[in-house]
Amino acid sequence: METALGYFLISWTDPRLLVLIAVGTFAGIYVGAIPGLSVTMAVSILISFTYAWDTNEALALMVGIYMGGVYGGARTAILLNIPGAPAAIATALDGYPLAKLGEAGKAIGITTVASFFGGFVGILALAIGAPLVAEIALLFAPRDYMLLGIMGLLLVASLSGESLLKGIIAGALGILISMVGLDTMSAQPRLTFGSSALLGGVSYVAVMIGMFGIAEALVQLHGLSAPVIRQKVDRVLPSLATVLRYLPLSLRASALGVWIGALPGAGGDIAALMAYDHAKRSVKNPSRPFGKGAYEGLVAPEAANNAAVGGAFIPMLTLGIPGDAVTAVIIAALFIHGLRPGPNLMVDTPHLFWFTVGNLTLANIFLLIFGLTGIRLFAKIVEVPKAVLLPIVIVLSVVGAYAINNNITDVYWAVGFGIFGYFLRVYGYQLGPVVLGVILGPIVESNFRRTMIAVRESWIGFALELVSHPITLILLLGIIISLLRGTPLWPQLRARFGLRS
Amino acid sequence: MTLNRRRLFVSFAACALLPMAPGARAQDFPARPLQGTIQWGAGGSTDAVTRAVAPIVEEKLGQKLVLTNRPGGTGVIGLQYVHSQRADGYNILFGAENPMLYGVLGLSELSYDDFYPLVLLARGTPVLVARKDAPWADAKDLIAHVTSHPDSVKMGATGVGGLPFVVHAMLAAEVPGFKVTQVPFDGDGPALTALEGGHVDFMAAVWGAARERIRAGRIKALAAIATEKIEGLDAAPITETLPGFTKYLPWGPFFGAFVKKETPQPIIAKLEKAFVEAANDPRFKEFCANFGVVPMGISGKAAIDFMNRWRSVTAWLLADAGAAKVDPAKLGIPRI
Repeated sequence: METALGYFLISWTDPRLLVLIAVGTFAGIYVGAIPGLSVTMAVSILISFTYAWDTNEALALMVGIYMGGVYGGARTAILLNIPGAPAAIATALDGYPLAKLGEAGKAIGITTVASFFGGFVGILALAIGAPLVAEIALLFAPRDYMLLGIMGLLLVASLSGESLLKGIIAGALGILISMVGLDTMSAQPRLTFGSSALLGGVSYVAVMIGMFGIAEALVQLHGLSAPVIRQKVDRVLPSLATVLRYLPLSLRASALGVWIGALPGAGGDIAALMAYDHAKRSVKNPSRPFGKGAYEGLVAPEAANNAAVGGAFIPMLTLGIPGDAVTAVIIAALFIHGLRPGPNLMVDTPHLFWFTVGNLTLANIFLLIFGLTGIRLFAKIVEVPKAVLLPIVIVLSVVGAYAINNNITDVYWAVGFGIFGYFLRVYGYQLGPVVLGVILGPIVESNFRRTMIAVRESWIGFALELVSHPITLILLLGIIISLLRGTPLWPQLRARFGLRS
Repeated sequence: MTLNRRRLFVSFAACALLPMAPGARAQDFPARPLQGTIQWGAGGSTDAVTRAVAPIVEEKLGQKLVLTNRPGGTGVIGLQYVHSQRADGYNILFGAENPMLYGVLGLSELSYDDFYPLVLLARGTPVLVARKDAPWADAKDLIAHVTSHPDSVKMGATGVGGLPFVVHAMLAAEVPGFKVTQVPFDGDGPALTALEGGHVDFMAAVWGAARERIRAGRIKALAAIATEKIEGLDAAPITETLPGFTKYLPWGPFFGAFVKKETPQPIIAKLEKAFVEAANDPRFKEFCANFGVVPMGISGKAAIDFMNRWRSVTAWLLADAGAAKVDPAKLGIPRI
């Protein structure tokens, strides 16, 4: 225990490491805030940059960037309606309406505290339950990822706005977009019309930037003469009462985030979306209706995506299996620094586990400090006249789209989907379900195909798969219940089984 | 952010140099930072190998090498990007073996035939692995089980043309009645994770990716797909069970650095020298040992011969397995 504490405190007592984590967290917040600049890419560049450094120093910087980056995406989501990263999509749904109500400062304050709280729960789960959680995460079979994806797709119902039908159409469109490109299972190009530019598929980040950033800028052209919204910045820090009020929700969302983060096949973006869905289903009386500026709609996804950071480190540190794209890059970095990430990592380099836990804790504290300073200044961005702001949004969107893969095609996609998204908005379609379909479509499809292939294309075998394991059964029941709740049958069932609210 | 600023700077520098670029003299090369394009995404093997060698190349050339991942379409996107750039030696492609199969898979007209190999950095050795509670101790047991229970054994794979697919094609060619159900995953990492979780029964994976899991006893090794034992692995080479494998081996993924074929000879010579030196640098070799890949450090003719042999073996295996969309004979790929 004493040695563990020693390892935990390595960075706390070494000024150099302390500064590196602080710098990393600060830089991460801004890398995360800029759409298209991903934390994965930033950490990957750091591999070459820190080549000659001491391993501990490289890791300290990377962990800082990671923690800050996951949080940073919320900034632009709230201020400009462009999620800085896919993990912040759900944050935009209620964050941007809050900015329109003049509460951008308060929204940033709440997301910061929620992120800090979520990050802390993730670290705690990593520190206490890592080996157990990792073993359970391995039990998730392709069928379970498929069910998880379907569960996420049910979120379309929450994001549809006025018309469920339009929501379903938008979601289906997203799934269709996700199918473009080379199918890696069969090496067959799909929906590419013979164009090699389409072989790589359509990046979902490009769709996200187009549909949120560019489409939003176009929609705003309608209201150029509308008065600028004055931002209330007198009270940006959430009061203790507010924090306590959302504590139970934060805790549930964080637990969800840890689990999804720990799954090797799902990361912070899905965690945030599912947490949003959970909030919408479980909170009876939100501060405002969801989608119109509910604080609950900020707390849940932000707690979940930062909790997913600790979650992603669980399989990485215990088994050498990355929990998401960023931890995959960190594993590559460990190899380059002469370590051997794998199940023996904790035996070969015993300090690494508690050292990382210590770094994450520090990064989380820095996140709170940096996140809560400068909010007033940021909130003023919303007050910038539209003649100045909208061109900046467009430029930022284009640059962001290019930065995803350094590919000009992504810019065309972003602009194209921006214009398309504008018309969808005009005709009353919500854009959330489209992006949801693009993200979750491939997860459902590929895992459905894996499951089908494994049972040799037999539907009976497929049905048996769905009841073959407790995890699968729980997920299946979850889906059935969600579906039933939307039907007139639900009240009858509730009466029969004596369930009362 | 530093990346973007740097890239911006590089593009400005590139613009400034444009008028003189074609006539730029070889002895001045490289007068500005080089652009490296990685065919695969961050966190993959190609990415790791490239980022391990790049700082050493920078040292040898005395210039910056700015790396960019351009993934997509099993590397087609990155390859096409570099091919669309000027043949002036400033654009380096870092790729894996995949372009040698673009022809038979009908993915692109381009391949490494359109590039000059500055160096082949390293190659991986496949290992046959099984879930830890599988009832097999070696390749012989596996073969006996599969041939007596056709199609019932689940093999982890990474899609048509991927490493497990090709190793399976070799097994199917050598063992009559070797029929399994191939379950494709998004890469060898996810497939190995599924193997560890017991969702598939066995697979072939590159030694570097499987090593630590084998060492910890979370999966078990049945055979090395090599003619000799791998250092640190107890499992026997596959040729002891199936001598017919000798004609395919050595086979495995490889990583290299390339420039467009039309690049002026003196510039190629300069780059080739720096890259070969970097690939033979003890620091890179140490990385290879740690990463579980075999350092190669060959270039030019030797590299081209290696790749052509690799393509002959693989393309015909795919064709015999019915997975080639274009007949290798039509592409002029000789059968070995």
